[in-house]
Amino acid sequence: MTIGLNEFLVVSGLLFTIGFVGILVRRNTLIVFMCLEMMLNGVNLALVSFSRYNGTMDGNLLVFFIITVAAAEVAVGLAIIVALFRKRQTVYVQELNGLKN
Amino acid sequence: MNLQYTDTNQWSAILPEIILVLLALSLLLIDMFGGTRGKDLIGRVAVFGQLVLLGLGFTVFGDNLGILNQETFAGMLYHSEFGQVMRLFFLTSSILTSFLGAIFLRKHSLLGTEFYAILLLVTASLMLLAQSNHFVMLFVALETVTIGFYVLVSYNRDRSNCLEAGLKYLIMGGFSTAILLMGIVLIYGVASTPGLAGMAGEAMKFTDLQLFLGLNADNLIAKTGVLMVVAGIAFKIGSVPFQIWVPDVYQGAPTPVTAALAVGSKAGGFAVLIVLVTGPFKPMADLLVPVLSLMAIITILFGNIAALTQRNVKRLIGLSGVSHAGYLLIGVVAMFSIPSAQSAVVFYLITYLLASYAVFGVMAHLSAKGRDDIQELSDYQDMAKESPFLSGVLVLGLGSLAGIPPLAGFIGKLLLFYAAFQAGLYTLLGFAIVGVVISIYYYFGWIKEATFRFWKLPILDGEEPEAPKEWPEVSRLAKFTLGGLGLLTLLLGLYQGPLSSLIGG
Repeated sequence: MTIGLNEFLVVSGLLFTIGFVGILVRRNTLIVFMCLEMMLNGVNLALVSFSRYNGTMDGNLLVFFIITVAAAEVAVGLAIIVALFRKRQTVYVQELNGLKN
Repeated sequence: MNLQYTDTNQWSAILPEIILVLLALSLLLIDMFGGTRGKDLIGRVAVFGQLVLLGLGFTVFGDNLGILNQETFAGMLYHSEFGQVMRLFFLTSSILTSFLGAIFLRKHSLLGTEFYAILLLVTASLMLLAQSNHFVMLFVALETVTIGFYVLVSYNRDRSNCLEAGLKYLIMGGFSTAILLMGIVLIYGVASTPGLAGMAGEAMKFTDLQLFLGLNADNLIAKTGVLMVVAGIAFKIGSVPFQIWVPDVYQGAPTPVTAALAVGSKAGGFAVLIVLVTGPFKPMADLLVPVLSLMAIITILFGNIAALTQRNVKRLIGLSGVSHAGYLLIGVVAMFSIPSAQSAVVFYLITYLLASYAVFGVMAHLSAKGRDDIQELSDYQDMAKESPFLSGVLVLGLGSLAGIPPLAGFIGKLLLFYAAFQAGLYTLLGFAIVGVVISIYYYFGWIKEATFRFWKLPILDGEEPEAPKEWPEVSRLAKFTLGGLGLLTLLLGLYQGPLSSLIGG
C-alpha cells in the first residue's frame, strides 16, 4: 500500500477536528490553547501535502508564516494566562466570568 | 516565485507603512534613552508623527506615487483606489485612538510606550491588509493585527477583567484564525490541482484564483474553502457566527482599545471582505449572496435585540456595533450586482468612524479611575446639566449612529439602503429597517439618561446626602477634537461634496 495525498489529508482533517471539538468542550484554558495549536498543525500538514503532491511552493511558504504566527500567539497567550492566574488563581473557563451585564 | 520578481519590489509603494513602523520603533528608542522627559513626550510624538503622515497622505501619496492600479512585490500587493482610501481611514482611526489613549493612560496612571508602538504596528498592517493581493500577505497582515490586539485588549494587566477579556479574545481569535487558514488551504489545494480546468499558476494569488474559481464555481472543496474564509473574517467584523466575543471583550478592554476594535479592526475585516468579493470570490456569487444575506439578517437581529437589555454602555456600544456590521454586510451583498455599492459601504464606514469616536471620546472622559470596565448607563445621569459640552457631543454621536437626519449616519444608511434597493434586496432591506427601529430605542435610552432630569428621593433629616459625582475636566485639545468630530458628523449630513470624489462617486 502506498501512502498518497488522501491519507495525509485524512490525518490533517483528524487533527483539525480534534482541535475544533477540543476548543468547544474542554474547560481548562491551557488545554483549549493546545487544541488551537493542534488545529494549526492540521492546517500545516494539509499545506505541506498539497504543496508536495501538486508541485507548487506556495504551501510550504505559508507553513513557515503559520509557525511564526503560532509562536507569537503562544507567547502572548501564555503571558495573558499566567497574569490572569495570578489574579484569579484559576485557569478554568467556567470560573472566568467577571464580565457580565 | 521567480527571482525576476525582485524587480517589482517598489519600496516607495509602501512608504506610509514603513514610516509608521519606523515611528513605532523610534518610540521604543525614546522610551529607552529619553529618560523621564522622553517618556512624557511619547504620546505627543506618536500623535504628531501620525498627523504629519496623514497630511502627507492627502497631498503626496495616493496617485502621485505612480502605483495606482498596479501590483507590486511579486503580486503580493495591489494598490487599488479603495486601498488608498482605506489607508487614510486606518490612519485617522489610529490618530483618534492614540488621542483617546493619551486621555485614558493619564487617568489610569499606565505607561504608554508599548500602547502607542503596538497601535502603530497594527495600523501599518491594517493598511497592508487593505491592499493585499495574495493569501500569504492577507494572512500575515491579518495576524499581525490580531496579535497586536491581543496585547492591547489585555493592556491594563492590574485589572483581572481586562485580562479575562484578553483571554477570551485570544481563544476566539485563534479559533477563527485556524478556520480561516483551513479555508485558505482548501482553496489552495484545489486550485493547484493539476488537471482541473483553469489550474492556477499561483494558487494563492487573487487574480489567478478569480480565473480558477470562475471555471470551478461548483467545486465542493472550493465552496467549503470559501465559506471557511468568510467565517474567519466574520470574527474580525464581529458578525454571526463569531459575534459572541464582542460584548465581553468590548467591556473588559481599555476604552480606547474598544474604540479601535469597533472601528479599525471592524473596517479591516470589511476591507478584506471587499477585496475578496470584488476579486477572487466574485464568481462565487451564487454561493455567497445567500450566505452573506443570512449572516446579515441574523447579525442585525442579534445585535439590536441583545443590545436592548444592556445597562453597561461598553457592552451596549459593542452590540450596536454588531448590528452596524450587519448593515454593512447588506452593502457587501449589494456589491455583487451593483459595484457602486462599494462607495456606499466606504461612506458608511467613514460616518461610523466619526460618530463612534465622538461617543468613545465621551466614554473615555467618563470612565472612572481603576474601574474602566464598569460604565453604567446611570453614570450618565445629569450629564447635560453638569457637562453640557460632553453631552452635546454624545447626542450628536449617538444620533448619527441611530441614523437620525440631518446627521451623517442618516446619509450613510440612506446610501447603503438605496444601493440594496437598486440591487433588489427587498427582504434584507425589510430586516434592516426593523433593526434600525429597534436600535432607536436603546440609543435614545442612552440619550434620555444623559439629558433628561431624573427625580431623586428627597433627602430626609439625619440622612447623609450622597457625595456629588465628579464630572471630568475637558482639556482644550479634547474640546477641539471631540467638537470637531461632532461638527463633522453634522456637516457631513448636510453636505457630502468633498467626500464623493474621495470614495469614487
